[in-house]
Amino acid sequence: MIKVRFGLVILLSCGLMSVASGEAYQPGQKVDSDYGSFAQPFLTSHCVDCHGETEPEGNLSLHDLGPVDEVNAATWKAIWAQVSLREMPPREVTQPDVVERLKFSDWVVAELTRVMHDKGGFHAHHDPHKGNFLDHTLLFGPLPDGIKLVPTSSPARIWRVTPQEHITRLNELINTEPDFDPEKPGLRTHGDVVPTNHGGELKLYFGTDRIIQWQGGTVAYATSVKSVPAILSSARNHGLENYPDFYTVNSAEATQIMGVAEDIIEYMADGPLSIAQPYQITDDPKSIADKMKGDLRGLPTSIVYSTKVKRPLTPVYDLMKDDGVTDDRLRAAVDDLFERLTFRPPSQTESDEYLAIVKQSIEKLGKRDGAVLGLSSIFLDRDALFRPELVEYGKPDSHGRVMLQDWELGLAVNHALRYIKPDEELRQAIVEGRMRTKADVKREVERMLADDTVRKPRVLRFFRDYFDYDLGGYICKDSKALADTGVKTRGQSYYRAMFDATASTDRLIELILHEDKDVLKQLLTTNKVVATKAENVYFGKKLSREERLAAEAEAKKSEVEIAQKEAAELEAAQKEVTELEAKLEANSEEKATQRQLAQKKKALTAVQKKIAAAKKERRGNQNSNVAEADLSGEKIYSRVSRRSFGTGSMKPDRFLATIPEGQRLGILTHPSWLVSHSDAMDNHAILRGRWVRERLLGGGIPDVPITVDAMLPDEPNNTLRNRMRVTTETYCWTCHQKMDPLGLPFEMFNHAGLYREVELDKPVDTSGEIIDSGDPALDGKVANAIEMIQKLAESEHVEQVFVRHAFRFWMGRNETIHDAPVLQDAWRAYKDNDGSMNALLVSLLTSDAFLYRTRDVRAFVEVN
Amino acid sequence: MLQGVAAGAGAAFGLSLVPERLLASPVSNSNPKRVIFFMQNQGFDPKTCIPEGMTGSSSLANAKLPEPISALEPFKERLHIINGLHGIHTSPSHSAFFGALGGYRGSDGVPPSASTIDYELSKVLPPTLLPHLCIGMDSIENMTTKPTIATLSASGAGQPIFMHSNPNHLYQMLFGGISTGDIRLQHEAKSNLLNQIEMLAAANGQSLPSAERLRYSQYVQGFSDLNGLRNRLDTVSDHLRKFAPVVDERYTKPKFETDWHDILLDLGISALTSGITNTLTIGSGRGEIFGAWKGLGVEQQGHNLGHMDQPDNPIWIKIRQYNSRMLVRIMEALESIPEGSGSMMDHTLIVYTSNNADKQHTNGANWPVMLLGNFDGAFKTGCFTQLDGKRPINSLYATILRAAGQNCDRFNMDDKLAKKFDDGTGPLKELLV
Repeated sequence: MIKVRFGLVILLSCGLMSVASGEAYQPGQKVDSDYGSFAQPFLTSHCVDCHGETEPEGNLSLHDLGPVDEVNAATWKAIWAQVSLREMPPREVTQPDVVERLKFSDWVVAELTRVMHDKGGFHAHHDPHKGNFLDHTLLFGPLPDGIKLVPTSSPARIWRVTPQEHITRLNELINTEPDFDPEKPGLRTHGDVVPTNHGGELKLYFGTDRIIQWQGGTVAYATSVKSVPAILSSARNHGLENYPDFYTVNSAEATQIMGVAEDIIEYMADGPLSIAQPYQITDDPKSIADKMKGDLRGLPTSIVYSTKVKRPLTPVYDLMKDDGVTDDRLRAAVDDLFERLTFRPPSQTESDEYLAIVKQSIEKLGKRDGAVLGLSSIFLDRDALFRPELVEYGKPDSHGRVMLQDWELGLAVNHALRYIKPDEELRQAIVEGRMRTKADVKREVERMLADDTVRKPRVLRFFRDYFDYDLGGYICKDSKALADTGVKTRGQSYYRAMFDATASTDRLIELILHEDKDVLKQLLTTNKVVATKAENVYFGKKLSREERLAAEAEAKKSEVEIAQKEAAELEAAQKEVTELEAKLEANSEEKATQRQLAQKKKALTAVQKKIAAAKKERRGNQNSNVAEADLSGEKIYSRVSRRSFGTGSMKPDRFLATIPEGQRLGILTHPSWLVSHSDAMDNHAILRGRWVRERLLGGGIPDVPITVDAMLPDEPNNTLRNRMRVTTETYCWTCHQKMDPLGLPFEMFNHAGLYREVELDKPVDTSGEIIDSGDPALDGKVANAIEMIQKLAESEHVEQVFVRHAFRFWMGRNETIHDAPVLQDAWRAYKDNDGSMNALLVSLLTSDAFLYRTRDVRAFVEVN
Repeated sequence: MLQGVAAGAGAAFGLSLVPERLLASPVSNSNPKRVIFFMQNQGFDPKTCIPEGMTGSSSLANAKLPEPISALEPFKERLHIINGLHGIHTSPSHSAFFGALGGYRGSDGVPPSASTIDYELSKVLPPTLLPHLCIGMDSIENMTTKPTIATLSASGAGQPIFMHSNPNHLYQMLFGGISTGDIRLQHEAKSNLLNQIEMLAAANGQSLPSAERLRYSQYVQGFSDLNGLRNRLDTVSDHLRKFAPVVDERYTKPKFETDWHDILLDLGISALTSGITNTLTIGSGRGEIFGAWKGLGVEQQGHNLGHMDQPDNPIWIKIRQYNSRMLVRIMEALESIPEGSGSMMDHTLIVYTSNNADKQHTNGANWPVMLLGNFDGAFKTGCFTQLDGKRPINSLYATILRAAGQNCDRFNMDDKLAKKFDDGTGPLKELLV
């Protein structure tokens, strides 16, 4: 056995020498070798020693794996991951050189792609979670010998809009959002996204800007208001939400879009009249009291709309408001609606086609129904649902790349920052042929970045995707486990607090972006917090048993004092009444006394009421489990949804405060992030550690092997750290050492995000370790999350990893080694401008990766 | 509604499947199963369905059904009353919304966190032209202003399925091909429009790079499926004519909302008997905490209905009796259609329950359910089963999936949750034959 292997090693070395001494390798190019001549020797040389026929490591034999086929595809995928991540071969044995490793990885990907083509395809290398499989040093270190880079570009593609982009686009048709108010820059305004509602659902609301009265409480309002949920699907869990190749639109979605389109067109034409009776539209609700009799809660007829027209009045309105149809009015409606939905004017052909469709419908159904139905077709235009970057008309350069231009370039730049259509200046630039060069892009990007009135929700979206702090409200908590954290569990208050917390963190990030200095470092280490009053609990400290008992005793004591005071006040008021009553008994005719008595009786009732209310409030606020934080400070605002839930809707009011010192540091210690990385019962140290490993250290985690039953023991009396002992077994630890020691320092918080010093009545262990980070200066033990964050925030390596994630978000794909110059430039721009996100964005958006497209990726490989 | 078309596109629209085959034809030798979920809002108090004095599991043969469900008396050999499932984890107070059929936490404004059982069954059952139909009954104002809403069914996380509440629209969708008058015109205009959209969409795909074509082709295929469905419905119009309800004045001039409730039910039944679909979800009160039944002489509407105790309450007796008559109508219709060696009803399961567990303000510790039909001999019938409150509604859904041929131990419940909320695993043996 040993002899045979030795022979193969010699053979393989000879083969590889020819690669090394030949032409430089251009990663991504087709490897013209088959299994027998290329992959098998690699396996034999580097893998079979341990993964051989007898007693193989990890029970995995590779000696007779054979060429890639659909049966062994999963094994090949695992090999690809291990080799790309340099997990294998193990460090202590001879390593393949860089070119050999890259070439092998490329070969496996090409083979898996070929073999799985008609079996669901192979997409793992396009998955953003696998972006880090490309070694960081290849991108930011010196280029190794034997590798040739080519000028980069992205594939020509269509990019489906996200549910939020879609809803925001539709919202523009029926709602006029307020202009930006420099005095209250945090309030939601025109150009901001339609956010999720009180329950975390993304919905389009009709007519809420005109509702002046309704019947019933919060749920009644939510039921009676017309709203439609997002139709396009999104499978986002953690990480980047949308690469161009993630989604399409299925027929169910198309049908539903058409239904919603008709509702929207009718609302564009008639406003609230399309969903209400004429009498419901009045500025004097009292005048229709006779119509609003009885219990109308939950009915659309319980709503009163003001007479003030708020929605945009567009050519669709012009078309519908008068009888009759003219070609001009029809075409104006078609063209305007087309641009509102696709963000560009229609071509003559497109305009003609839709005009013909609308006319046919009108012919069949008459003007009103026909126009509504016919115009709804535009909502299903390809470019209303997908943004094209197809470079159909440009001439390829010597590398087969074509630069985006005109509308495609303008809309790409617009989409990089915005959810709504290009503003007038950008539109003019496109129309006048001033969106064709890198300088054009720089001009527009810099202009938009500098202008606060131009809202740029996509930048915030990046930070949501990068940090994943917006998922807390969607994690269904076990009631008892939640109660144990110290927070109140009554009703939906906890979930509402989580959605509020997301909006708060959004706003904090915006404030840091506004400063635009050391952005990442600030995000990681800021001592600022944006919060509602309710968040005092979540930013508070969970008390230990002793502290709780002391707090309860204290509360009891003060309750006694307050009660005495109240009793005295009540007695005094009562006494006055009694005295006056006695006086009146003696002389019942005395008018002045009668008046006085009435007043004093009123005062007595007021005192009784006041005391009862104060008692109730004390009872409601009493929470001896938690020492609440005192988050007070400047009054600011956050961007929350339109009223979706009556009086219980989310409120924009926030405080800009300072976090309790020594307990928190930066947004990784805010409840929004912590809870987003928790589960029903407890903290999720593995997920938190994984986040740090991937998003800050740039490491990759292979998929969990299917043989692993990934369950922690269910031991309620043991800490999470203790229960995670099972991951330290050799088989698991290879991967888990990359995550667990980075996640466990966050044990200084419980799973609702409260700071704690004890867990299960013992001092909580918050120690951890940064292992094999890629930057030796970072490696080492840490006492808790704060110490770890402080260390990481100082690292250039971490900054570079952040830049890699920004690249992925804005390019819509994983980086390749050919993007190294783009990434280095972007990081340099960030660094040289004192950690400016704006500088980073300008660099990325004027890079070849952003500006150039390649129509035929195969031809691209051949040309280069 | 049409969501199923998309979801089942691959399987349901294979070219080899001719429409007759897809109509789940009654003359076929195999027994195509079908399932109906009837979700009444505001809770289902067990006292309104369990015969008086019955405390433990036993036969219904000698028992008298309580007044609210007395209409089911002649059908009680098909009935199985189940008490003692729970849905604590669904947070059902004020309705669990998607969580009722999903078996997960739901609430007002909370998006679905996974698919629901009706959708999953529609995928498991033999393909039909329209794999899944959802209808919703509400106050007339709500049904006209919001003819489609999504509160109960979902095809996945964040993917709600809309239910139909305007019978005119639904009729056009199901029976447009055999319609006349205005409905006919609308059907033709919409058909023309969808054909044109398909053509435009296809033309826009021509210029795509090869790598993008596949993904985009799914979009175009969606229209092709929709148009195909219509064409196939057209080709079987003679067959459909036998089952389609007659359009009368109630469609355009309903006196009460219950007129629309009745004709929506007719349309749902027709979709089943004609074989267009085999999964029907009925949301009476549309998953929310309001709803109106003025045609029954129930003048009160909405939220207050949920604040009343249901047992011995004249209003709730009326609503439940109305539900029961609807169930009878479904059963009679399905019994009248021969299928295999028996009737359609022999291969059908009706699940009657509430999206609100036992009452409006509830923690979900008890979630009563009635099953009607034995699903081709799979379920026990003619009996009352009292469970111990330790198994969740998810286990009922897993049981139905099993009976439909899907091997599954748990539905939407991972091991971690199951440790807290499910005392057992696999189907509810107490229910199966």
